[in-house]
Amino acid sequence: MSRAKGLQGVSPAFEGEALAALDSLYRAALRVTRSPADAEDLVQDTYLKAFRAVDSFKPGTNLRAWLFTILHNTARNRARDRARNTVDANSTLVDEAADIAPASGTAETPETLLLRNTLAPDLQAALDALPEAFRQAVWLRDVEEFSYAEIAEMLAIPPGTVMSRISRGRRMLYKALHRSPVGATHE
Amino acid sequence: MNCQALDPLVTPYIDNELGASDRAAVDAHLRACPPCHSRVAAERAVQSLMRTHHDALHAECAPGDLRAKCRELARVTAPDSRLPTPATWRSRLTPLALAASLVLVVGGAFLYQATAVSARVMAAELAADHVKCFAMNRALGTRQTLTAVESSLASGFGWRAHLPQDTGSANLELVGERPCLYGEGKIAHIMYRQGDRPVSLFMLPDTTRTEELVEVLGHEAKIWCLGNRTFVLLTRGSKQDVERLAAAVRTELR
Repeated sequence: MSRAKGLQGVSPAFEGEALAALDSLYRAALRVTRSPADAEDLVQDTYLKAFRAVDSFKPGTNLRAWLFTILHNTARNRARDRARNTVDANSTLVDEAADIAPASGTAETPETLLLRNTLAPDLQAALDALPEAFRQAVWLRDVEEFSYAEIAEMLAIPPGTVMSRISRGRRMLYKALHRSPVGATHE
Repeated sequence: MNCQALDPLVTPYIDNELGASDRAAVDAHLRACPPCHSRVAAERAVQSLMRTHHDALHAECAPGDLRAKCRELARVTAPDSRLPTPATWRSRLTPLALAASLVLVVGGAFLYQATAVSARVMAAELAADHVKCFAMNRALGTRQTLTAVESSLASGFGWRAHLPQDTGSANLELVGERPCLYGEGKIAHIMYRQGDRPVSLFMLPDTTRTEELVEVLGHEAKIWCLGNRTFVLLTRGSKQDVERLAAAVRTELR
């Protein structure tokens, strides 16, 4: 990922590889900000920081994961700047507050029924309704398919916490999808 | 294995990331423990569901103009080799955390000087801020009064500003003010409209620059200094037009 000395801008190779992650970053930004304008803003800031810091990227490591880390760091810093009281949105408090009982698993609601009857928009809506910490962990794992270690880096939490948030996030999704009537209408 | 010992293994078990012996231990516990069995079944059902709908969840695309803006950022952003890599959770959990944040601060200071080298790079970053802030303002629909903006500039920047009035010769309508981050330093971003056209006035404290007009990202940026403050007026339009507007703002700005 080198660039010619004295040249302004990053190398075309780096630019191309970095911009290949744009759609993924935008989707992640939407999950974080829940607003298209804020998501665009966050993505631009992410690229600006990445292009400035291009020399600190280690070639051969995962560029996508590096960009996601910058995106989540930026989002965290902004949240911190905007409202100091909500700094702990990612802390264990959230984990504890959301400690729900496991699904009952009665015969009337077998998991197969959930699988058969849940449509993509239902799932997307349930995901977007999850508390932020769980939404991000589940999203980064199941949609963007990052490793636990990579997600730990992005969210600045230990890998064990990543796994427990994925676990709780999945349970909360299960509960939410069971509660919502199948075939409910969407905007 | 008891239920408590099972807990941290559930996610890697479902994701197929466990070694053979751990997997066998989990299997044995699940056979003997109906509550854990149903918990794992529920989580696995959701994981399968995510997998089933993976392509649909992955289909949303970034808007086309966002791609163009980010590509432009790649062309105009000056890489800075002194920037540290993003801090990791590990560094925050060790006594090195303090050292890491010091590095970040120093990195920020270097960056500020580095970007100060090129007026075009500064103008590009301000143009990106200009576009972002107005997009956000459109989305939020907020508007601040002159008094609110001036008092925020006084408290945020120690700047007792007298901004151009709505009734002034430039015919500018005040939209609001945001503290923006530029080169990790804080600058004031005052947003106006002139008719339909968004106009930004940036104030960089403790910065001096030579006066010039720079074209970047489809915008013109007029840069000038007053005391130890640098001002940048940025908008779309012809060079003469922007020079004229900047001149009007300069006479009214105190």
